[in-house]
Amino acid sequence: MIDQLPEGKSIGWMQAPPQWIFTHTVRFIGVVRVVIQDGEGFILIKKGKPLLYYFKHGRIELRGHAALDYFNSHPTIEFNLCKYTPEEFSQALKICNVEETMPETEIMQEQAPAALAQVGVAEQTADETPAITRAEQPPPEQPEKAEPVTEIPVAAIPVKPVATVPAKPVAVTERPLVPQPAVLEDPDIKIIGQIKKLNGIVAISVFNDDRNILLMGDVEIEPLLKIARTMLATTNKITPHLDWGSFVHMTLQIPEGNVIIAPYHENNLCILTTRTINIGHIRRILRDLQQDRTQGVML
Amino acid sequence: MLKQILNKFLILNDVQAAIVIQENGEIIESMKSGIVIKEELQGVIATIMLDSKKTAAQFGNASLSMVFVEFSDYFLILGPVMEEFYLVIIAKNSANIGQITYEMKKNQDAIVSLL
Repeated sequence: MIDQLPEGKSIGWMQAPPQWIFTHTVRFIGVVRVVIQDGEGFILIKKGKPLLYYFKHGRIELRGHAALDYFNSHPTIEFNLCKYTPEEFSQALKICNVEETMPETEIMQEQAPAALAQVGVAEQTADETPAITRAEQPPPEQPEKAEPVTEIPVAAIPVKPVATVPAKPVAVTERPLVPQPAVLEDPDIKIIGQIKKLNGIVAISVFNDDRNILLMGDVEIEPLLKIARTMLATTNKITPHLDWGSFVHMTLQIPEGNVIIAPYHENNLCILTTRTINIGHIRRILRDLQQDRTQGVML
Repeated sequence: MLKQILNKFLILNDVQAAIVIQENGEIIESMKSGIVIKEELQGVIATIMLDSKKTAAQFGNASLSMVFVEFSDYFLILGPVMEEFYLVIIAKNSANIGQITYEMKKNQDAIVSLL
């Protein structure tokens, strides 16, 4: 099914907690392609509303909440946001056999049984919160009932076991969708994606004191964050002693390349580049970003 | 003689100071224009030198090539010259960074020979 989906316009690969996807796609229409180890899947999304979760690993296919639970069983997942045109989106709906007018919960439940029967995992009870809220509060574990009939043991994929309670229709209005507060807006992701596409940019991360919010690029985030935080600590130490205006960026150059940190809204950017990068170009971008920020312009 | 070399930086547009400084914050030589180098600034430079050296070491013991800290009005470029000695340039943000870094590389050997 994944191969049949329209390609869409890639915004970029990222690493983030699965919850991030649900809180940052309020204006996004398209598919989020997910890669976990050797398996791949997707979440079809229309303006923050997940219409279908799907994941395939070998002959194991997970759909609906089983796929969502699998995504949620990972602290971070790697994914690619691909924007759809209205035509591409309609095509994707047809391929996924999803009717756009159907309430979200029903869509996911209706899709689930056929696919799950294949792997012997039944769908979760219908009486649960919609996906966006559930991402913040994963459902409690329940005993597994059906046996897998696949080549690869289900244990190979750490999916939380789910009960075989048949899906019941549920009034979606009882539990309305509550959008989570967005940390990064769609335009922000676009900007970060554009910076990542520049020649010489190896990786770019948006981070705060607690965690990495977004990462584009193929690097291990923890060592990079450690360095970025050390640099940030240096700037925090020196800034109060300098009457030089607001902090724009700090660039550390080593023979292998550059690490750049810069404030970005209430968060920070960390950019890893090759040595050949045009620092002047990056500097202009960072200055522009900060000017926009100080002028209160929504990026 | 060191002053003459540092003066080459000062004649560049919007460069405010060129300083050769030791890791402990002690200024070996400096040339400045329209800027006062107070103890506080010396402390700031020392912090950047020590912290950046440590941070660079986190990259598999990489050596530090250059540090660039920019604020909305001024920026500071710091490059190691030899062992514990660094060349620091302070400039207005309208200064030409490419020109400054080019001069830093070009004059490094001459500075080393005088230390």
